[in-house]
Amino acid sequence: MEPMTLSRLDPFDDIAVRLDNVSLRYDTSDDVLSGIDLSLKQGSFTFLTGASGAGKSSLLKLLYLALKPTRGEVSLFGRPTGRLARDQLSAMRRRVGVVFQEFRLLEHLSAYENVALPLRVVGRKDSDYRGDVEELLAWVGLGKRLHAKPPTLSGGEQQRVAIARAVVTQPDILIADEPTGNVDPEMGSRLMRLFLELNKRRGTTVIIATHDLGLVRQVEAPVYRLNNGLLVRDVEFGEDSAGRRRTDPAKAAD
Amino acid sequence: MARETPLLPVEDAREAALFFVVAALCFLAALAALSAKSTYGAARAWTAEVEGELTVTLQDVDRRAAEDARKLIEKTDGVTSAHLLSKEEIDELLEPNFGNRGLPDSLPLPQLVAVTADPGVADMGPALQRVLTEAGYDSAVDEHADWAGDVRRVLAITRLIALTAVALLASTAVAVIAFATHAALLARRDIVDVLHLSGARDRFIASLFERRFWVLGLRAGAVGALLALGAAAAAIFAAKAHGGHAGLLPELSLDYLDLVVLVLTPVIAGLAARIAARVTVIRALKSMM
Repeated sequence: MEPMTLSRLDPFDDIAVRLDNVSLRYDTSDDVLSGIDLSLKQGSFTFLTGASGAGKSSLLKLLYLALKPTRGEVSLFGRPTGRLARDQLSAMRRRVGVVFQEFRLLEHLSAYENVALPLRVVGRKDSDYRGDVEELLAWVGLGKRLHAKPPTLSGGEQQRVAIARAVVTQPDILIADEPTGNVDPEMGSRLMRLFLELNKRRGTTVIIATHDLGLVRQVEAPVYRLNNGLLVRDVEFGEDSAGRRRTDPAKAAD
Repeated sequence: MARETPLLPVEDAREAALFFVVAALCFLAALAALSAKSTYGAARAWTAEVEGELTVTLQDVDRRAAEDARKLIEKTDGVTSAHLLSKEEIDELLEPNFGNRGLPDSLPLPQLVAVTADPGVADMGPALQRVLTEAGYDSAVDEHADWAGDVRRVLAITRLIALTAVALLASTAVAVIAFATHAALLARRDIVDVLHLSGARDRFIASLFERRFWVLGLRAGAVGALLALGAAAAAIFAAKAHGGHAGLLPELSLDYLDLVVLVLTPVIAGLAARIAARVTVIRALKSMM
């Protein structure tokens, strides 16, 4: 993969993600998220767990700037996002890679074109990124399915395309919603290694929402649990009671 | 990759219906524009026949005195020719009103002099009137100015109506495209969201819709213009095949300015479609994430 050309983390602030007293509600419903404070350092690796409907996806939407909070402030790379102009929001989103739970692939584009999409929207030429995209697709086991359209791919294959699309720009923050939910354990481990490599080698801040406690145990990183719209730090997994990591995620990548 | 797949998928059914509507509007707009332009030619054709033509009516004079008056008229500065109408010519003029059996000799008729003057000479009518009055003739000089004025006024109103029709049809086409763009945007909200989350700017997303509707406007405008050309050619053919008897209609034809109107139709349609799509998408995106 070629070195990342997008703007790097702000040198004066090592906090990649910060939520200050953030609440969210849809229309007239009760708060889906309530008074959430969260601060994630650049290069951190974090799990987000919680029962179905606990608000994981809503929290992730706030993080990848698909929603604005009803109250509070979401800051990325030290910059509050609430007052950013639309072009600045776009620039911010380019630094965030997202693996959606429902994949959100464009069905009329091939696997190759879906993965290349984030590069295409910033005006890069096909000849510049062709090798990288093909290599990435080969790495996720889709080297022979470059031109397959999503409807012809299995759920697992679609998920791998979605993951490749999320990491193709080598983002500063990678947000993944149930990224291993549709793949077999072997591919799940392989994808986790990709996330860990990005975290270790590039300092990518990784946030993974998952139900898979086995995955959480495998990596041993800070775990946050959402419960009734409230975010609590979970000491059962990943860290001891003093908040120290039991295992450096980087070791798991080796 | 030989060619990148468009980020917006082609929507055949929706775009075929829109294509038909825009083509029809362009056809009507092009016809209206041709009509507006033709009023200039008609005004010229209809008034040219009376420009520089005057009719002098002489009361209570015999033929000899009328001939003297004609000579006097002919000598006046600016007059090219003066012709004293014969009894037969006057009968022919009055035939539509009194039939073709001729007029009784006892009916007092004025003597008429048909005058051709240089159209560049101003106030020919008053000048002739003054000369004749000074010579003692009881005369009236008709410059046909009222008739020409009526023609010009009617054609100006016709032109205004045609241009209003062009403006209304163009506005309708813009509104239709704006509506279709908004519908397309909502139908492709999933794609727009993914593009946004991939870091696409509003301008980039708008450009996708702009390109789509620019091409549609251009093609629909071309079809509309070609249909208008066909309709105009058919009208000219029909006028030439059946006309030429009454002499009331100016000769119909297509000149290079008409062709310019027809060539401009698809370009204007394409540009209008592009601008409508851009404005609609940029405004709509602001209400999205």
